[in-house]
Amino acid sequence: MQFWPLMKNTFLLCIIGFVIGFPLPIIISLMLNAMKSKKMSKVLQTIFNGPHFISLVVLVGMLTLFFGRYGLVNNIAAHFGGERVSYFLESSAFRPLYILSSNWQDFGWSAIIYIAALSNVDLGQHEAAILDGASRFQRVIHVDLPAIMPMISVMLIMSIGGLMGVGYEKALLMQTDGNLGVSELIATYVYKQGLTGVPNQSYATAIGLFNSVINVVLLIIANTTSKKFSENSLW
Amino acid sequence: MASLTLKDIKKVYPNSEEKKSKKKKKGDEPEKQKANLQITEEGVVAVQQFSLDIADKEFIVLVGPSGCGKSTTLRMIAGLEEISSGELYIGDRLVNDVAPKDRDIAMVFQSYALYPHMTVYDNMAFSLKLKKTPKAEIDKKVREAAEILDITQYLDRKPKALSGGQRQRVAIGRAIVREPKVLLMDEPLSNLDAKLRNQMRAEIIKLRQKINTTFIYVTHDQTEAMTLGDRIVIMRDGFIQQIGTPQEVFNHPINLFVAGFIGTPQMNFFENCALTVDGGKYSVEVLGKKIALTDGQNKALAAKGQKACSVTLGIRPVHMQLDEGGFTGKIDVSEMMGSELHLHMNVQGNDVVAVIPTAGLDVSAHSIGKSVNFSFNPALAHLFGADGKNLL
Ligand SMILES: Nc1ncnc2c1ncn2[C@@H]1O[C@H](COP(=O)(O)OP(=O)(O)OP(=O)(O)O)[C@@H](O)[C@H]1O
Ligand SMILES: [Mg+2]
Repeated sequence: MQFWPLMKNTFLLCIIGFVIGFPLPIIISLMLNAMKSKKMSKVLQTIFNGPHFISLVVLVGMLTLFFGRYGLVNNIAAHFGGERVSYFLESSAFRPLYILSSNWQDFGWSAIIYIAALSNVDLGQHEAAILDGASRFQRVIHVDLPAIMPMISVMLIMSIGGLMGVGYEKALLMQTDGNLGVSELIATYVYKQGLTGVPNQSYATAIGLFNSVINVVLLIIANTTSKKFSENSLW
Repeated sequence: MASLTLKDIKKVYPNSEEKKSKKKKKGDEPEKQKANLQITEEGVVAVQQFSLDIADKEFIVLVGPSGCGKSTTLRMIAGLEEISSGELYIGDRLVNDVAPKDRDIAMVFQSYALYPHMTVYDNMAFSLKLKKTPKAEIDKKVREAAEILDITQYLDRKPKALSGGQRQRVAIGRAIVREPKVLLMDEPLSNLDAKLRNQMRAEIIKLRQKINTTFIYVTHDQTEAMTLGDRIVIMRDGFIQQIGTPQEVFNHPINLFVAGFIGTPQMNFFENCALTVDGGKYSVEVLGKKIALTDGQNKALAAKGQKACSVTLGIRPVHMQLDEGGFTGKIDVSEMMGSELHLHMNVQGNDVVAVIPTAGLDVSAHSIGKSVNFSFNPALAHLFGADGKNLL
């Protein structure tokens, strides 16, 4: 496979995943924190953490159960007279399945760090805002969000730094001949080149190294930008 | 600018769920005392039987030891805590169920509670912005308030870059830009050092001249209470003990608690003094000496039909003087305060404090271990019955 398609596949998968996956835990944590019933909020938080503990193999297994040719979604569609679709053979379905399942698995877990930060927000500020006439939503925007902003900056820098660092396991598990065009990533390609068939380790190492260089560059750019525009940075 | 009426206000903090279930299991007695607060079936009673009429533009100070329910009362007025029972009127309007923002009140918090990401200007403008006040008007009001509080030069700074005193000014500024009918303050000065506290206290007195608002001020510092308040409300364990002007509570404390709480150093108490009456003339025996009471005191006691009994006599340290013919004590500690000398003495097993002016006094003659003679004017003594109530 050519280098640029690999690069493009990796980049698109990561950037879309990031755009959806980064704000999601922030929104979830703000919502959980603003809930009136603290008990309900705790219960929800626990439920949201559950998927994090599912192993990748089981997760992909679940995806097949739901989206396979004879899986739940297709069964329902067939019941209403729809046509069965082999989602795992469709290259257009790979990215949505990959990204949504990843986000479903990790949004609750990633929210923990924000929830912890939110629990430190001075209650007095909320009370002052109540007296100032702020609604619940306005308090989230003007009190809670600024309070976790430093945390958001740090997480942002770190996620951008690891943006291209997608693992090969899940993509490999979801890979079929049908979606190879979009599911072949730098990581899976390096794995195949370096460890399977007739190993071509020097080539694989070069590509892997290139990926890491991109990550380092991204990290430096993100950190410098953040330093310039806010008071937060990793170094 | 509004009068305030509190009618039999009560606050019960409900027990948390687990406590409730534990209690049911044990099935123990419904009422018990914990840290002097009443604990009932429903929960902790933090404030009860709180009735008070506050006049327009009055400066009321709530004072009392820690945990007596001052903040709770203030927070109920602000609407941050629900009122368990009783009625709260601001002006003529019953506001028990009115949202805090519609009560036309503002509050200054002990911890300042400024928004850290906003500049001083934005902090002060925030409530006006939420009310959709026109920009020009916001600007005018913020600058006016900043002028009053002398913080104009800090308007562009963030709270982080301000000192404690400056932050407190901003917090006050944020409250007064809204021109509230009632301004609530919960220990606004207790995070400041002593010198700054005195300075800010003076500022608050000045502020009062400049803005027409009813003030309710919470403190546990009695100097603040005495200097700021038109009237002082002294609280203890959720109950009001006494309401009165600073002079009233100082000169006529209603009971032992108020007598001990107001005034530094604390009033001296001599317990188990025999009050005797002989032909309408009362006298009290203190430290083995019989002291005749004054005519005024006799009248007051006679009017009540007071019989001979055992009383506690209270006398303020500032009302004691050196007197060769008086009681003899041994000096334990001698504190030179500059204009006055605080003598901590042991008199027949009682700890007694006297405040003696140093003008014309040989201070070195009153060092530790020396003996000293003192007396007091019986007209300034207070007598408390067995129930702690002031008899005079
Ligand atoms: N949320 C709560 N739940 C249960 N009890 C509470 C709660 N808040 C306060 N209390 C109790 O109510 C009583 C009065 O509290 P409050 O904060 O009004 O005291 P305070 O007079 O302001 O004391 P301080 O001078 O220390 O601020 C305290 O004994 C406290 O333990
Ligand atoms: Mg308090």
